[in-house]
Amino acid sequence: MLSRSAKHLYWLARYIERTENIARMIDVNLELILDFPDDHSLNWKPLIDTLDINDLFENKYKKYNENNVLNFLFEDSRNLSSLNNCLEMSKYNIETIKDDLPKSANIKLNELYDHVVGKKISKIHKRKKLHHLTQIVSMTQGFFGAINNNLSRGYEFEFIRLGRFIERTDMISRIIDCLCISKSEKQTHDFSTMEWLSMLTTLSAQDAFRKVSKGEADREEVISFLLKNDSFPRSVYRALLIIEECLKNLPKSKKLLLMNSKIIKKCERSRLDNYDDLKLHLFLENLEKDLSKVDLKIQSIYF
Amino acid sequence: MNDILKIRKDCKREMKLTWSKYELSKSFDEYITSKRTVRGHLKKIGNFLESLSENDLQELDSATKSAIKSLGINFRVYSDEGSEERSWPLDFIPRIIKKKEWNLVEKGLKQRTKALNLFIEDCYNNQNFLKEGLMDSSMILSSKYFLNFCKGLKLPNSSWAHISGSDLIKDEKGDFNVLEDNLRVPSGVSYMLENRYVMKRVFPDLFSHYGVSKIDEYPLKLYETLVQASFTKSKNPEIVLLTPGIYNSAYYEHSYLAQQMGIDLVEGIDLIVKNNVVYKKTIEGLQKVDVVYRRVDDDFLDPDVGNSKSVIGVKGLIKAWKNKNVAIVNAPGCGIADDKAVYTYVPDMIKYYLNEDPILPNIKTFILKNKEDRNYAFENFTNMVFKPVAESGGYGIVIGRNIKKDDRSIIKKNILKDPKNFVAQPLISLSTTPTFRKDSIFPRHLDLRPFILSGKETYVTVGGLTRVALKRGSTVVNSSQGGGSKDTWVVDA
Repeated sequence: MLSRSAKHLYWLARYIERTENIARMIDVNLELILDFPDDHSLNWKPLIDTLDINDLFENKYKKYNENNVLNFLFEDSRNLSSLNNCLEMSKYNIETIKDDLPKSANIKLNELYDHVVGKKISKIHKRKKLHHLTQIVSMTQGFFGAINNNLSRGYEFEFIRLGRFIERTDMISRIIDCLCISKSEKQTHDFSTMEWLSMLTTLSAQDAFRKVSKGEADREEVISFLLKNDSFPRSVYRALLIIEECLKNLPKSKKLLLMNSKIIKKCERSRLDNYDDLKLHLFLENLEKDLSKVDLKIQSIYF
Repeated sequence: MNDILKIRKDCKREMKLTWSKYELSKSFDEYITSKRTVRGHLKKIGNFLESLSENDLQELDSATKSAIKSLGINFRVYSDEGSEERSWPLDFIPRIIKKKEWNLVEKGLKQRTKALNLFIEDCYNNQNFLKEGLMDSSMILSSKYFLNFCKGLKLPNSSWAHISGSDLIKDEKGDFNVLEDNLRVPSGVSYMLENRYVMKRVFPDLFSHYGVSKIDEYPLKLYETLVQASFTKSKNPEIVLLTPGIYNSAYYEHSYLAQQMGIDLVEGIDLIVKNNVVYKKTIEGLQKVDVVYRRVDDDFLDPDVGNSKSVIGVKGLIKAWKNKNVAIVNAPGCGIADDKAVYTYVPDMIKYYLNEDPILPNIKTFILKNKEDRNYAFENFTNMVFKPVAESGGYGIVIGRNIKKDDRSIIKKNILKDPKNFVAQPLISLSTTPTFRKDSIFPRHLDLRPFILSGKETYVTVGGLTRVALKRGSTVVNSSQGGGSKDTWVVDA
């Protein structure tokens, strides 16, 4: 397989997965605000914090308010992770490889692109914002659905999966971080079982969570589920196992497998019940750094 | 015939087409005789078309268009405002050629292509043809397509133009003539294959009434030709298709052919030359490449020898080729025989190299460098077509009768500035075939581009790509300039 094709497939998957996760993050925040309409302490800064793009943001905007943050995350061209940019990059990456992919996948990406690019989020009515976001999530899933159902298993498939799950692991980690910062910065309210559960819903994780944990749910249980559950495909641990599977199917992956299994072990060994918010934050930050090393290694070996 | 009868029953009776109202001209019409009867071998389809109402015709047209759209068959057109992708234009009324007639054309094309390949190898080696004074050697040696670095090279099976496409036209008598030979990177073959694919979906009932010869073996034959071009003895040489990239007007074809043959579609950046060996960059490391089927022009192939600013080429490719570590298909330097002045000498080449009489006639061509020819062409200005010798795609062609009297001297002056760059040919009225336009069927001019593969043996596509000028009276068939296409049926009749 050509290195260039592998590179495009990998980044195509990363950008589409990123689109989905950023949409989910915005969704989490919008829902939280609806739940605490009077609590002005809840703000939009954590979203920018978790993506590590504060400098870029502050260059243009003064206040971390809903309008500014949403503009920045949706359509700002200087923000490389804005939904607009993610989809432009997806389009760019699919261009020379689209004949290797099922036609239906290309059609799905076009739909998603038309749904997002060129629309101003500030022009979308409040009532329709959540729906708009849900649509984005469901369209990205439509894209991967087309891939899963129609693409032969082989290197093409593995590079898409690899890109998707590396991106996903990174983003789950960031989303957990985002939730905990929202929670810890402002101690004006305590998250009850219901709030933790609604957060899981936004991550499409409630049903899966309920199967392993019934009754009251607290921070440890929810975070440990999102980090360490071994069967839910939107948990860090599970995503790492899928990355391992991909690597096993690719050539020259010995070193990468070693790096990945170290991360898996770290995850297994983590004692979340002992972690306060700062410790958890450091743990997640470390995880993100490890992943970025894997990413660099993938690039140097294959592309 | 049952299916056809059924369709006939279903169709609405109003506004039926009748051949008695079909606008015949001086040109040879391939369906209808001058007495307005349908030609013998076309009775079935002629009667079928006559039975259709305006509604039926429109339905067939939109079925064709939607099939093309959903299959994503397109091409890119460039203009001053940038470029755009357009749906491939296919007219659903097939162009039909009798097998017996085709067999002779096929023979003629094989003969012609063999001679042309021998001529190219000769030009880069002994230059016997030139030495014997059969043509003015400066025409070759000073051509921009003559590449010094090809001198002394001999290729497997003497194949230089492994893939070529000759443009054929039918004259007023209905006989095929060769208009030009395209030996560099001819395109269009994917559209020939896709046209058939679409027609089978739109017109299944008609196929069952005609024994239409299959054409789908082309990708296999092309693959075999590429294998035979290789310098290595391996039965499975590593072959890649080199494309300039997604913005090339023929990218659709590059991608299509690579997929059909199961070979990698590469860009210049995917290849690297080390110690005169070409490699492709893969996820498993560098992998040696034996054959490069390039769809990049000579000048851009290698920044070391051609355009030094080329970013679509591969540095060191030509040296690797000269060392016979990689085959380039078509070979660099083929362009010397792809020239409208050199074309004039093809019948002589056939006699010289093969000792045979040419089967397919050339169009009479006046070399404007020669004073006699030039005077004749200028005196008969309105009956002539003036063509620059080294252009393709229909660019730079001047049709004498379309030029206003006052402007003729400007054209003449322009030619006199550098007469060796121009030829003139008598204006030939291309044959016509019924073609659907808007609401009915009208005669439109067409040509035919068969593709010829030269390996151990010579293979000619069955039929080829029929291109049709969609405007009334026009003879411009190029898709970049608003031309359309038709499926070409070679039938037992």
